[in-house]
This record gives sequence, C-alpha cells and structure tokens, in this order.
Amino acid sequence: MSPESQAPQWEWYYIAMYFYIGGISAGAYFIGSLLELLKKEKLREISRTAYLTAFPLICITPVLLIADLGQPMRFWHLFFYTKDGMPYMNLTSPLSVGTWALLIYSGMSFLSFLNALSEEGRLTSGALKKFHALFNRVPHKVYAAAGSFFGFFVAGYTGVLVNTTARPLWEATDPLFGPIFVASAASTGAAATALTMAWRKSVAQDAFAQLERFDRMVMVIELALIVAMIVVAGRYAVPLLTGMFGVMFLGGTVLLGVLVPLWLNWRRAASGSANDGMAMLAAVLVLFGGLLLRISLVQAGQL
Amino acid sequence: MAKGMFVDTSICTGCKACQVACKEWNELPGEPSHFHNVPDRPYPVAFNFTGNSYDNTGQLSATDWRHVRFIEQFNESRTEARWFFSSDSCKHCKDAGCLNACPVKAIVRTDMGNVNVQQDVCIGCKYCIPSCPYGVISFSEQTGTVHKCTLCNDRIHNGLGTACAKACPTGSISFGEVEELKKNADKRLAQLKGLGFLKANIYGYSEAGGLNVFYLFMDDPAVYGQPINPVVPQRRLFRSAAITVVTAIAIAAAAIMSFRERGMQKNKEVKP
Repeated sequence: MSPESQAPQWEWYYIAMYFYIGGISAGAYFIGSLLELLKKEKLREISRTAYLTAFPLICITPVLLIADLGQPMRFWHLFFYTKDGMPYMNLTSPLSVGTWALLIYSGMSFLSFLNALSEEGRLTSGALKKFHALFNRVPHKVYAAAGSFFGFFVAGYTGVLVNTTARPLWEATDPLFGPIFVASAASTGAAATALTMAWRKSVAQDAFAQLERFDRMVMVIELALIVAMIVVAGRYAVPLLTGMFGVMFLGGTVLLGVLVPLWLNWRRAASGSANDGMAMLAAVLVLFGGLLLRISLVQAGQL
Repeated sequence: MAKGMFVDTSICTGCKACQVACKEWNELPGEPSHFHNVPDRPYPVAFNFTGNSYDNTGQLSATDWRHVRFIEQFNESRTEARWFFSSDSCKHCKDAGCLNACPVKAIVRTDMGNVNVQQDVCIGCKYCIPSCPYGVISFSEQTGTVHKCTLCNDRIHNGLGTACAKACPTGSISFGEVEELKKNADKRLAQLKGLGFLKANIYGYSEAGGLNVFYLFMDDPAVYGQPINPVVPQRRLFRSAAITVVTAIAIAAAAIMSFRERGMQKNKEVKP
C-alpha cells in the first residue's frame, strides 16, 4: 500500500459521472443486443427502447472526458502519437485501451440506434437514410455482438482503471471495482430501459416482468460483490464507510440503491401485482444508487 | 548502462542546496509567496508554512522536483532526540507506473534509463498521478500537464551529472552508472553496520522491480515517508481484467436465463 501516492483530483461531475453514464448506456445496449441475438421477436420493443436509450447517453460522455483534461484540445493524442502520426494504443494502460473501446462502442451503438429509428419509421433525414442503407447490408447481429462486447468493456474497464493505481483504497479493493461497475452498469441499464419504456407508454406486462427478473439477479450479484469488496479492503475501506462518502455509499448505494429496490422487486414478483408505480420507484432508486456508487468509490479513493 | 543516483541519507545535512540547484537549473518557478496580506492585520501573515521542522515545501510537486524531508524524533521524556534528513525525488523506476499508465506516450524512457514527460504530448488526463506509488508526478494548473524530475535530461545527455548531485556539499547525492553506485552503496552499508547501525538499509534494490534512484536509510523506509513494499500497479492489471471478464460472463448468463426461460414458459402456456 502506498499512503504516499497522490490523488489525481478528478472532479466527480466529470469522471465519476462519465463512469455512471457510460455504464448505463453500455448496460442498456447489452440488454438490447442480447434480445436481438436471442431472436426475441416478442421482446423487440424492449430491444428497440434499449438501443434508443444507449446512443444518446454515450454521446454525452466524450464531453465530460474532454472537459476534465488539462489540455482539452489535445484529446486526439489518445488516438495518434503526435511524434510519428501513427495510431497509438498502450496495452498496459486501461485508459488507452478503454478510449479505443469507447470509440468502437459508440460507432456500434450509433448503427443500432439508426436501425431502431428506421424500424419505427422515424428515420426522416435524407443523409442518415443513405448512411443507414449503406450499413444495412451488414447483418444487424454482427454489430449487436461487437457492440455488446465493447459495451461490457466500456462498463468494466473504468473499474479496472481505478483499481490498478497506487491509492490505498483503490489498491486494497483490487480487483473488485471492475466486477461491481459491470454489475451496476447492467442494473442501471435495465432500470433506464424500463423508465424509457414507461415514458414512451409502451409497457408490455410480460416484457417488463423479464426485465425485472434480470435486474433482480444482477442486484444480488452486485450486493455479493460489494460485501466481498468491503471484506477484502479491511481497514483501507474506512474512507468509504465513514463521513460523507459513508452516508452516500452505505445509505445511498447499498440501502436505497440495492436493498430497497430488491425488496420492492421481490414483493412485486411474489404478489404478482401489477403495481407499475412500485416498479418505477425501484428503477429510479437503482439509477440513484448507481450514481452514488460511482461518486463514493471514485471520490473516497482521493481523500 | 542505466544512469541513476544514490542518496546516502546518513551524511545529508538538510542544507537544501539540491532543492535550490534543481529549481535553478530547471527554471522552476517559486511557490506562491509564503506571506499573505490578511484583512484586519497590518502585517503580512505566513499562510502556507507547514510548521513541520525546517520543511516548508512539504512534498514533491509540479514545481518542486526535489524535496528535503526533515524527520524529528524524540523519546517519551524528550531527553533524547534524533534528526533525520532525506532528499527525495523521482526514482526513475525500472518498471515505471506512470509510464505504464500514460495513454498518449507522453511519458517515455530515454537511452540513459531516465523517465521523462514530453510536455508537448501530455494531455493532462492525470492518470499517471495515482499510478506512482511514491506520489512523485504532479499536475500543474498553469500548463495543464504533469511535471516531475527528468534526472536533468539535458545535462546527462551532455556529459554532466545532475544539478542536485553537483550542488550537494557532503556527497550525499551521487550520480553515475547504477551498477557502480550500487557497489558504493553496499560498501557504505557494510561500514555502517560495522559501526553498529543495524537498522541501516538500502531502499530501491528490489522495491517495485528496482529503482534507478535509490537510498540508504538509517531506519525503516516508512520513517522517511517511503512506502513499504510498493507495487507497480500494472502488475495487477491482468488479474483485475480477468475477474471483470468473468463477472461480465456471469451477468450475460443471468440475462440469457431470465429472458430465455420465461420465453419457454410462455410457449408452454400457449400450447394447451
């Protein structure tokens, strides 16, 4: 452990927010592409909604990432080494590999977004129509598969990135941030998809039950990983369990973001009730908990 | 072939000549004034003194590439005291965490083994900062990039030693071939042990894969503010990534189960 290591002073509204939004987008895309790959025609509606959610969210993330840089106009150095002009990737740097993954994922999610729009007959721009026609020859499943692979990458590399540093909390919790971020991405992605479906007033009851079932499983995995993380970190977990971040993490993420939605979800499944309000409340809580998870883990490591 | 430095803290007098020489040669700006006008006080007030012994810079930073640490220790009854000094800088690690973490190849190693930041390439992502186990590399708001000791890159590539070693009046900092320096360090360590300083130790032979700038300490490295058993963060990268992939596969399996089984149940319901 290196108590001497310095904190990078990443602002929560840039980096933790990017981890959060990128995670939701990747989680939603994964659900969309999985249903497409499983040929769930009945669930095509969830799949489309997921694609329509994923792309606009990922468009926000480069803005956050570039704004955090000390030299924002040099962001393109991430793709080309300036001294020889060749494309550059550093395999020992999760930040470098993740940037490329984010680029590929953005492209895939754009193509799936266009597909979803075109299926709904909402693709009206001439230029976009031509562009869509060009890529429509490629089977949709090819980029659904590639997109969900790189989507998982985008959701998980951020945790690996933070864990492979010398900050005491981040070093002590290695290797569990990656798994926790992936689980949180899946559950917030499902919640965002559910809320978007409700907003578009397109709720099909059985489709909804399946999303909830998935969310329930993921939340159990997430909870187990969080417990494992606290055990593994031991005394280095103190900054995460005390003070403001303790309230955020234990109260916001664990209680309100995982335990309460899990309980609501279970009760709904057990009673077979069609209380949509309760489902919406659970989805909102999951999204809230996911945000506080990223903020508390990233900021407590910088104390 | 690698060049480095050996810092023998047992003969350091805490004069800070190295700190001054570093600032001068590398044209590093001074810290914000140590005195500050405060409302209601007619005289300037010292506002960023550390209050810790003779140390006023406190730590390495983007403009302090050398830092002399002052360690005062007393026994319970305060009848005995000892005062340690240790001049600290970038260790130019053989397996450098900052270099491994840099996504744009701004941090590079030269033919002489020293690790440098190319100021025109750095984008200021700050990922190298937590990746250094010693808290050396630092961000500057003025330039929007990171800075650290270069091992006087310009001097050593023109046949000179580092400015700090040149200025050191006691020979506590010596510059040269790492292998040569190690021989001197071993000799000095044996001499001190012979004199009864049994806690004396060399820091930097095996730490984090070896350091090109290494130290002779008279007590535990933690006393001098150095991490015990530092780990190059990227050596944990494979395990961290592998476990994340396993989790991703588990979640994908959970998704397939929750969407597929229900679909089959639906079919069964439909059939009769």
